[in-house]
Amino acid sequence: MKIPANFAFSQNNLQDYVDCPRRFELRYLEKLAWPAIRSEPILAVERHMQLGERFHRMIQQNQSGLPADLIGATASEPELIEWWQAYLSSAPDPLPERRLVEHTLAAPFGSYRLVAKYDLLAITPGERALIVDWKTSLRKPKRQILSSRIQTRLYPFLLTEAGKSLNNGIAFKPEQIELIYWFTADPRNPEHFPYSSNQYEEDRSYLQNLIADAVNASDTNFPLTGDERMCRYCNFRSLCDRGEGAGEMETDSLAEESSESSGYDLDFEQISEIAF
Amino acid sequence: METFAYTPSQEQVIAAPLTESMFVSGPPGCGKTSAAVGRLRQIIDQGIPAESILILTPQRSLAAPYARETSRPDLPAGGLPTIVTLGGLAQRTLQLFWPAIAGSSGFRRPDLPPTYLTLETAQYYMAKVAAPLFDRGFFEQLVIDRNRLYSQILDNLNKAAVVGFAHTDISSRLKNAWIGKPEQLIHYEQAQECANLFRSYCLENNLLDFSLQIELFAQQLWPSHLVRQYLSNQYRHLIYDNIEEDVPVAHDMVREWLPAFESSLLTFDQGAGYRAFLGADPADAELLCGYCDQTLEFSQSFVTQPALQELGSAFTSILLSKPEKTVTPRALTAYSFEPSRFYPEMIDWVAAEVARLVQEEQVPPGEIAIVSPFLSDSLRHSLMHRLQGHGVLARSHRPSRSLRDEPAARCLLTLARMAHPLWDLPVATPDLRAALLQTISGIDLVRADLIASMLFSTRDKQAPLNSFDLVKPGMQERITFSIGERFMRLRAWLSRYMEAEPVELDVFLARLFGELLAQPGYGFHDDYEAARVTARLIESVQKFRRATEVTSQASGLSIGQEYLKMVADGVIAAQYLQPVEEEQPDAVLVAPAYSFLMVNQPVRYQFWLDVGSQGWWERLYQPLTHPHVLSRRWQPEKAWTDVDDFSANQETLQRLTGGLIARCREHIYLCAARVNERGSEEKGPLLYGVQSLLRLARGLEAGRV
Repeated sequence: MKIPANFAFSQNNLQDYVDCPRRFELRYLEKLAWPAIRSEPILAVERHMQLGERFHRMIQQNQSGLPADLIGATASEPELIEWWQAYLSSAPDPLPERRLVEHTLAAPFGSYRLVAKYDLLAITPGERALIVDWKTSLRKPKRQILSSRIQTRLYPFLLTEAGKSLNNGIAFKPEQIELIYWFTADPRNPEHFPYSSNQYEEDRSYLQNLIADAVNASDTNFPLTGDERMCRYCNFRSLCDRGEGAGEMETDSLAEESSESSGYDLDFEQISEIAF
Repeated sequence: METFAYTPSQEQVIAAPLTESMFVSGPPGCGKTSAAVGRLRQIIDQGIPAESILILTPQRSLAAPYARETSRPDLPAGGLPTIVTLGGLAQRTLQLFWPAIAGSSGFRRPDLPPTYLTLETAQYYMAKVAAPLFDRGFFEQLVIDRNRLYSQILDNLNKAAVVGFAHTDISSRLKNAWIGKPEQLIHYEQAQECANLFRSYCLENNLLDFSLQIELFAQQLWPSHLVRQYLSNQYRHLIYDNIEEDVPVAHDMVREWLPAFESSLLTFDQGAGYRAFLGADPADAELLCGYCDQTLEFSQSFVTQPALQELGSAFTSILLSKPEKTVTPRALTAYSFEPSRFYPEMIDWVAAEVARLVQEEQVPPGEIAIVSPFLSDSLRHSLMHRLQGHGVLARSHRPSRSLRDEPAARCLLTLARMAHPLWDLPVATPDLRAALLQTISGIDLVRADLIASMLFSTRDKQAPLNSFDLVKPGMQERITFSIGERFMRLRAWLSRYMEAEPVELDVFLARLFGELLAQPGYGFHDDYEAARVTARLIESVQKFRRATEVTSQASGLSIGQEYLKMVADGVIAAQYLQPVEEEQPDAVLVAPAYSFLMVNQPVRYQFWLDVGSQGWWERLYQPLTHPHVLSRRWQPEKAWTDVDDFSANQETLQRLTGGLIARCREHIYLCAARVNERGSEEKGPLLYGVQSLLRLARGLEAGRV
């Protein structure tokens, strides 16, 4: 199936393409609803996601100027209280003055567009820009896994490409940008990814090749992933004749590596917009 | 990418300085939205941060041109504008500022997050609150489905919120206007009592229905300095399209907000206001003109040919009973009148004529719309079936569809009832037969019937399906072993489930789908439409579960059982809003007339079905509510008379026909059936209007006009 001209590549759809081109096709091009369970235990996954969503909203409320005690009073679940306390005591600090919460940036890239929604952008115009991403996964992934994620490449790259209006009309230099992953599972040890011109060029080339690859696949076909373990955490497994039941997230080491482990993690990009 | 030249008037709007507030009005199809989209692009191209632009529309479908523009690959790098309705803005703002207002808004647990109710879950809670009152004799004089009364009480609450009066004033407004039988006054009071109880229940349980969301936004958030500052910092430029379709509280907010914007553009569709029954107030919208620096009027239609414009004028003069009724020779070429004796005959004719246009005249199917005042399931089915028979691609657009009517959903609900014997929701043999037809690939009606009648036990609820091995070999052969094997896998799956602890209904459905029905050999495996229906059903159950888990303990029923009971009682129809498709397929559109207007996409050919139907003219029978009396235009002490009723209906008809004509490029087929869908003769005012037009036409031909 052809990629439509107005298609926007995001960390989610690109990561899906990397994990399984066929999943990318089914989910984003065919927009196929396939309501099988991605990972078990489903209600625990759902609860964790809901708490993650509320935690992101609490931070958004705080960054928008609401007092922390007022916000904290709306949390009654032990995990949420713990996360909130961790945020108050261990969130990256000091952050640059200008804050943009849940902010979307997009930029033309070849014949298509790149898009990303940032949990938090903290900016000192002319000096630096911090990207902070709040992670509520059960475990903190290894740095090596994080560095290989599309998000780690796309977010700073796109800020360089599309952040001009946030920096007095001048594009940020890659060296002014840093990406920070902050974990509820390990709040005192966030992972910092400073950006650089070399990395910027490498990411540009990587993203160009990846998108070109997807466009080529759309002219021929989108193959199934070669790593069938991925299918345990994919709702399309029955459509592809790759199994029946969903994998167990808590007991499987693959969960940490699979993008489908987002069942236990949450990016604001994944929360459906209340657009209307 | 589509490119076209703008008119000087459009250029004026697009290029206006970024300090202007403009009010642009004109008839439909004269390029107001195109100019607004052009201005949006111009603002972004000038380097203004796109995230500082707010695009407000009254309804999601009307925002499609802006969504298309902002997804173009050549849009400059940067942020994105916010495209939103009043309801969306209210919900976003509430989510953000809930901790700041919950304590002062009367909620019992301001320390807990609220639950946002959908149409369905609000209806559920209304039923929960009002049912005991119904059992005490409320509304006993009214012969109308109880669920329709629930929705009218909710509608009253919504009207109070969007018009901007206290919800406790609903009955006094309705009573003051009523001049009929005195028994009706009691019904208004009873409706008020239900509304008050519902509101108290929401406050008690942190539930936010649409009316409470709007009320909190308008009365608590919008006046707050903190919120106003947040919104004003966020948005510096406003584009507010189709303001005539929006509600008074949205107009109030924009009126107060306008001075804070650096630039603003408001567009007003003359003669529209099709959402009046939902509280839209075009007269109130027009007042915003006085708050803008500059007013522009577009007049040239890019859609309708002169012949259709003249037809529109002729219709207006007839429907509004103007003393001078004239028709031009040119207008006669813009329509055809196609009478049929019976309803099916009319449908046959329409399908054949559509096929002729597509196949012989090479009209793209997407350039044809078939509209009627309402779109019943049977009408939709007959039309789609006949068009399919002619090889014409068609799509139907209804604002909502009931999942109960989808075979895939019925199948899932049957299997859910069977898997939960303690819920005491029995399955009949025909239900299972229908479910088997959906479930097992390769099965036909005869084989499904054989299995259902031989292997299904209505008595043994713990093990309702018997083994295929019990069937005599000859019969096994007739049914086929492959079908038998699939049946046995279904049986085994259900048995395993029934032996374990039951799970939530949505989880059950998702597992059933993924582990069995979507596997090779089963009916949902490569049926994308069945998968979509399943996804929507699961979503409906999930939303129901999330909205009711805080209050469900009291009933003693499990949430899944409660859901199925509510679906069976018709309280919730498992309805879903159909998503607005970004890319419309090239297919004939079959839609209710109002939905077609709200899609706002002109076509070359329109077919108006059953022009004799009263549905083109009169309001639905709604004994507990009244769109006009509850509007801001209405003087609270005035009585609603038959004269008011007649003129309101005439005005509605004129507005509707005017709107349809303004969205037609070439030709309108006025289709009539002497005997309607229900088998009776009906001659509504639109038919009289058409007959007046025909008389004028005959007079013209005879040289008398």
